[in-house]
Amino acid sequence: MISESILTAKNVRLRPAEESDLAQFQCWLADDELRRWLGSVNEQPSVAEEFDWYMSKRQDPDIILWSIEAADGGTLLGNVELRLSPLNRRAEVAIGIFDRQYWGKGYGTESMRLVLDYAFRELKLNRVELKAAEDNVRAIRSYEKCGFVREGLLREHRQIEGRPVDSVAMAVIRSDWEAR
Amino acid sequence: MTVAGDVRLEGELVVLRPRVEDDLPLFARWHGDPDVRHWLHMSEMPDQSLEVERQRWSVVRNDPTRVSFVIETLDGVPIGNIGLIGIDVAHRRAELGIAIGEKDHWGRGYGTDAMRVILRFAFDTLNLRRLELITDIDNERGIRAYEKCGFVREGVLRAKRLRYGEPLDMLIMAVLSED
Repeated sequence: MISESILTAKNVRLRPAEESDLAQFQCWLADDELRRWLGSVNEQPSVAEEFDWYMSKRQDPDIILWSIEAADGGTLLGNVELRLSPLNRRAEVAIGIFDRQYWGKGYGTESMRLVLDYAFRELKLNRVELKAAEDNVRAIRSYEKCGFVREGLLREHRQIEGRPVDSVAMAVIRSDWEAR
Repeated sequence: MTVAGDVRLEGELVVLRPRVEDDLPLFARWHGDPDVRHWLHMSEMPDQSLEVERQRWSVVRNDPTRVSFVIETLDGVPIGNIGLIGIDVAHRRAELGIAIGEKDHWGRGYGTDAMRVILRFAFDTLNLRRLELITDIDNERGIRAYEKCGFVREGVLRAKRLRYGEPLDMLIMAVLSED
């Protein structure tokens, strides 16, 4: 589903993802380096594929999708989603700042903190987890700043440009979040 | 479930055959047994009726990223199930799921044999490179069997699931085709 909650911090705003965001997402995904870090998108999607992606998110009751925009001026920056596993009170989080001009400036970190607060406070989850490519140093540093703890190294978990790459499994559990 | 098709895989103690609609009552019985259910990732589901099993099966059977087998003894008695979940061809990996539903067959090597068979299928036929699984941190018998098959401990996932309403840590393990 598309989140109806708007979450706001100093520099970012998370708001419902809209159909009108798709052209920009699709265009950004032409960037090989961006897709490499996202890990889940092998080729730039077509406009139709991007629309299908959006509809599948919208229809899935266990997904919450937001678009990320700059708090000042409302420039679209990327998106973030929670994939819920309600039975076990956990979620996987996936985040992307798609516009490379905004990389390394704290927008992702701030967005992630908003999502974590929402997950633990509003959704009452026990655990939020993710997997990052082991060489995605910038992302891992950001996740650690948000309180994610390394739980394991998954050997040859992904294949990037034909080569095996390890992934780091990370998570924030409720007690981590409460002690933040 | 396109890959399994009519595949029949033979081991030393067991045969794996594709799961079919007629197996539903069997699955409902296995999943309804509290001792079996204790270890299942979905043990928190409220009800293991035939209707719940049918709903789950309607999802599983049409999912191209899964293969699902029934484990039979060599004389044709179904004793459990094994399958691959989240088969990812691009990253050449999948997750393994296994349960021996007939308790009197626990601890006799059937699960280990079934895993060896599906490992060969995953690596040789599907050309995967990594097979992973998660299991309850206190599932000593399971972990011992996984290690026998070459699975290596990669990390502890804290509060990964609920069991009887309480958070439970789980172990993530994996075996690579080169191991």
